[in-house]
Parts: sequence; C-alpha cells; structure tokens
Amino acid sequence: MSKCLAFSIGVLLAGITLSPVLGAQTAPPKAAAEETKPDKWNSIPPIKPAYAGKKSAPAPRRDISGVWDAAEADGGRQPSGALEHVALTAPRGQGVEGGQPDETGIMRPLQYTAAGLEALKANKPSGPSVRQVPAAIANDPLDQCDPIGFPRMELYELRTIELAQTANQVIYLNQFYGNFRVIWTDGRELPKDPDPRWNGYSVGKWVDDYTFVVDTVGLNTRSWLDHAGRPHSDALRVEERFHRVDHDNMELTVTIYDPKMYKEPWQGLNKFPLHLQPPDYDMPEFLCSPLDMAEYNRQIGNTVLAPSDKK
Amino acid sequence: MIRMFRTTSFVALTLLTISIPLLAHHGGASYDTAKTVTVKGTVTEYIWSNPHVFVKLDGKDETGNTVHWIVEGQNPVSMMAIGWTKNTFKPGDEVEIDAMPAKNGNPVAFLGSASPTAPRRRIVINGKQFQ
Repeated sequence: MSKCLAFSIGVLLAGITLSPVLGAQTAPPKAAAEETKPDKWNSIPPIKPAYAGKKSAPAPRRDISGVWDAAEADGGRQPSGALEHVALTAPRGQGVEGGQPDETGIMRPLQYTAAGLEALKANKPSGPSVRQVPAAIANDPLDQCDPIGFPRMELYELRTIELAQTANQVIYLNQFYGNFRVIWTDGRELPKDPDPRWNGYSVGKWVDDYTFVVDTVGLNTRSWLDHAGRPHSDALRVEERFHRVDHDNMELTVTIYDPKMYKEPWQGLNKFPLHLQPPDYDMPEFLCSPLDMAEYNRQIGNTVLAPSDKK
Repeated sequence: MIRMFRTTSFVALTLLTISIPLLAHHGGASYDTAKTVTVKGTVTEYIWSNPHVFVKLDGKDETGNTVHWIVEGQNPVSMMAIGWTKNTFKPGDEVEIDAMPAKNGNPVAFLGSASPTAPRRRIVINGKQFQ
C-alpha cells in the first residue's frame, strides 16, 4: 500500500512539475500500466518513486542472482556515449552538438592514442553527441541490427539483466537485443589467443562476499564500445565489478583497458545502480529484427530525412 | 520579460531533455521538438515492432486531399510500460494525435518520450481520450 502511495505521489509530482508548460501534453496516468495488467507476463519494472527510500534487507553472501533493472538511471539509456564520459560539451539537456571529427571540448575527455583517434574518426555515430552525423551517412553497426556486442550492451542501453548462478558459471541474460553470456567461475584462465567473439570470453571471481569481478577478452573489433562510436582493438580487456550493496540494490562498475586505443584505462560506468526485481519478474522480449529495421527505415527513417515534398 | 524568458528556457530545456535519447534511428535533427501538429484521421495500419511502434492514418489536408500520415512512438517494451498494447489501434479507428512534426514537412510525426514519468501527448481514439 505504501509502495502504491509513494508511486502515486511520484507520478503526481512529475505531472504537476511538467504539465503546465507543455500545452500539447497531458499528465501521465495515475496508475502504472503494471497495476492494470491482466497476468504475470511481460513484467514492467517499477519507476524509482515506487521504491526510493524503501528499507532493504542485508545482501546475501556471494549471490548476485535475480533480475536487475536500471530504472533509476534513465532506464540505463546512454544515447550520447558511456555514462561516465558522455560525448557532449555540456550536461545532458543543454543542447545537442554535432559534426565534429573528434571529441574536442567534451566534459570528461578520453585519452586516445594515435591509432585510437584514427579508429574513432572512422566510426560515424548518429546518436546525439559532438560527433553526430546525419543518419544517412552514419555507419553504426547497430543500425543494421548487427550484434551489439560486449561491453556496448552495458554502455548503450543497459535496461534489464537476469543473472543465474550454477556451480561453475554465472549466466548473464541481457534484455536489450537479447544477448547471453556465460561467465566461468571454475578457476580457468582467460584464453591466450582467442578467436574473436561479439560477447567475448569471461571469467569471474568473488573478491569479497559481496563483490563479483568479471574479466572479459577476445572481443570482436567490429563492435563499438558505446553509442558515441568509441572504438576498441583486439587488445581490449573489460572489467565488470558487481557490488551488491544490500538485498535490493547492486552497483556495476565497468572499466575499459585497451592500450592500443586509449592511453589510460577508463570507466564507462561507475557504481551504476541496479535494482532487484521480484522473483516472478518476466523479462519482455526486445530483439532487433533486420527486416523490421529496414521497413522502419523505409517508411520513417528515410522519410524524415528526405527533402521536403512541400517547398 | 525575465519571467517570459525563464518560461521559454524551461520549455526548451524540458523538450530537449525529453527528446535527446529518442532519436537513435534517424538522427537528432529530424523532428521539430518545439512544435506540435495535431494529426487527425482514420487508422489504416498499426505496426507493433522494433525499433519503434508506429501507426498509419489517412487524414485530409486543407484542400480535402488525402494525406497518408505516420505517427511513431518508442519500442514496444517502453510503450508497454505506459499502457500501450498491440491492440491500442485497429484499422478504421478515428484518431486525433498531438505529436512533433518532421522538420522537412513530410507527413511523419513523433510522440517523443515514453518514460513513465514524462507527460503524455494527447491521443483521442474514437472520441475517447486514450492518453
């Protein structure tokens, strides 16, 4: 009941704050779609006001299993590049720049090597950033539904993930474009000279009872690191640090080590909040169909870019 | 004057905040986020798929000629979270939708954010306000 009340107040506040200035828009409905759903399929994560301030039980020992949602941090969406290094010259919401060949002037610049800078310039993102180009000349592999790859699945749209632990693995299911990874916990070494994989080769270990650290290598260089077109080489190693704060909350830190492209390691996410969902949470499907994408681009994407019919 | 400037800035800022994350598939400059067009017509098709849900409708221009409109929302998962389903529209429905027009003047419009905390744009289906 208190959850319901807190949520209603949150929705009401959001409505009061925004609705007077936006004549064409109406306040959101007072009831969440979840509350009117007829069954337990295609669950909808609660928004932050529904659980903010709610006391959580302590974290269980060596356990990160469950469905985790990024509702608190804009649903995990990072349209201008990895959250800790957005490719914007000013905080989000204060203008969209574009057309630059490089990232000069962004708030928290990355230190590229010469090869890294060259690789960056070859990637042409259509997302809102200093290097944004018109969609017609962008070359984002995701626009063709190429695999998103790792770690972009965490540095672009990290919506909901489900983790399951077995005796020798952590199984990682990522909702956005339907990706799975197997993180080995049987003590094996990372491969020395692996064939590239879109999602790489991962091993994980507990560094304390509440922190699980994953190392990943062998990543396909055709994927981008984020929506701002940050490149990576075959030398990329990614460290994920899953730190369970308490029963309901976890923090994810993602660090990029790629000395061929970057002069120093950098964090894409730093203690990024994830919120535990109920045990009966059913993760909705979110796939990228090349044919649906092509049809969308034919009917809408190309139409809004085409020269006007009305002169 | 100062008050007016403040209001305008707030409106602009709000619109930018809402619109920035949503233009992944066609670039950020395609829609006029400061304008609203009211699209009125009869639904001919409703596409419930990625990357974005969209509804097609036939309306009339000022001289009575038929105009084939498309209004796009967000991906199905985000739309579900604000109460949309694959059955929200059906062919033959008479609808009225407030949305952002395409800058190039083509008859395509965008509903903007589907964030559960963002305001909704007005949609009337068969005389009943849907949102």
